[in-house]
Amino acid sequence: MITTEVTYDELSALMKQAAGITVDPGELKEAAESPFDAFGLDSLGLLGIVGELENRYGQSLPPDSERCRTPREFLNLVNSTLTAGA
Amino acid sequence: MSNRRSGRAAVTGIGVIAPNGLRTDAYWKSVREGLTVLDLIGRDGCGHLPLRVAGEVRSFDPADLIEDRFLVQTDRFSHFAMAAAALALDDAGLGGDPAEPYSIGVVTAAGSGGGEFGQRELQKLWGKGSKFVGPYQSIAWFYAASTGQISIRSGLKGPCGVVASDEAGGLDSLAHASRAVRRGTDVMVVGAAEAPLAPYSMVCQLGYPELSTVDDPDRAYRPFTEKACGFVPAEGGALLVVEDEARARERGVPVRATVAGHAATFTGASRWAESREGLARAIRGALDEAGCAPEEIDVVFADAMGVPEADRAEALAIADALGAHGTRVPVTAPKTGIGRAYCAAPVLDTVAAVLAMEHGQVPPTPNVFDTCHDLDLVMSRARPAELRTALVLSRGLMGSNAALVVRRGDDSAR
Repeated sequence: MITTEVTYDELSALMKQAAGITVDPGELKEAAESPFDAFGLDSLGLLGIVGELENRYGQSLPPDSERCRTPREFLNLVNSTLTAGA
Repeated sequence: MSNRRSGRAAVTGIGVIAPNGLRTDAYWKSVREGLTVLDLIGRDGCGHLPLRVAGEVRSFDPADLIEDRFLVQTDRFSHFAMAAAALALDDAGLGGDPAEPYSIGVVTAAGSGGGEFGQRELQKLWGKGSKFVGPYQSIAWFYAASTGQISIRSGLKGPCGVVASDEAGGLDSLAHASRAVRRGTDVMVVGAAEAPLAPYSMVCQLGYPELSTVDDPDRAYRPFTEKACGFVPAEGGALLVVEDEARARERGVPVRATVAGHAATFTGASRWAESREGLARAIRGALDEAGCAPEEIDVVFADAMGVPEADRAEALAIADALGAHGTRVPVTAPKTGIGRAYCAAPVLDTVAAVLAMEHGQVPPTPNVFDTCHDLDLVMSRARPAELRTALVLSRGLMGSNAALVVRRGDDSAR
């Protein structure tokens, strides 16, 4: 089975799709330690992204994932979960 | 701002998103000309339903006016409300970031919340499973959604609320905002917008015996006539900016009208004969609060339910409350050209009343060419008249009745 990592590109697209927020993937990666609310993403927006990823990868993400404060923290948690589950 | 206050609530801004006009001036032009935009409902998924005619807001692209991050988490009724609120704030000279965010509050009235958004998410629930329902469903359908989103989007942190008191709640929200202003809030953004024309929302209305299922747009909604066969629904709405009159003068903005008096009563769902007394009492209460004699009323914007028993009750209520003046005062119902947008209907009527006073013209009642009631109903074309005071009436299907008295501001036609 091929394990796909969730990238900043994918996160950027999800932020647009789930929360209507436009952020360039490069800028997202560069500012990966900035809090989500600095990009305008609220808690319901992050919850929507978690739900979309769970549906996309057919795997539950830990409850902490929707409490992540920054893109880096979020992607680290998501990718370690997906890798472990693969 | 100084502490000088007049105790009177002044209308200083108006924003309209209506089936017959996407801005206030376009709305007034259509209302004045008696244009009717009632048409067969063209929305996807609605063609098989027995409700055929409505007033749709067409050529409204929310993406032109509202940012994506607000669009994804809101229903169409909130799109209308946010767009109308921004227009009203601009009109009042209060666009952009507020200098004193805690001094501006928001109150809206809502009749059904976000049906289209709710339907989309419920279809995901039953079609794919609970994990496919988006989290914004939790807030988008809610009656209070528009108040919250206007507050967030425009950065308004004053007292906020939502009035859920049936269709007449549109007038109750204006009274609520006026009270907030009298109690010391500088500015209130107030009104209602509705979007009841998605399939799910339409099915919810099919049980109303008052709904017109006539499929001819010119004949579907003709209140006060022998051919009255119910009402047709509409979407859209209006938001107003209300502030203390003295403060408005200090800011140097035109006072377009003042909210002088209001009262509300309740007489039970679809009990139209009883609504006569309820509406008459509401009118008397509004006149009392305004310190207004019946003879001072220069025009009445009628509720115009379009159900024979309800029309009769309204005509009699006007006579009961205004006496002999009730048969002489011009009465109009411009909503026959656009339909009833539930809570937004009386707010749109209040806007029409303000514009009628500014322009000195009573707009006509489209599609109505004769009346079987003892009313001086304005038909066919606008009637020029010196208008200082207007009475706006509203009733809801669930039994609420309300009356609002508005007085002309200091400027005539702008």
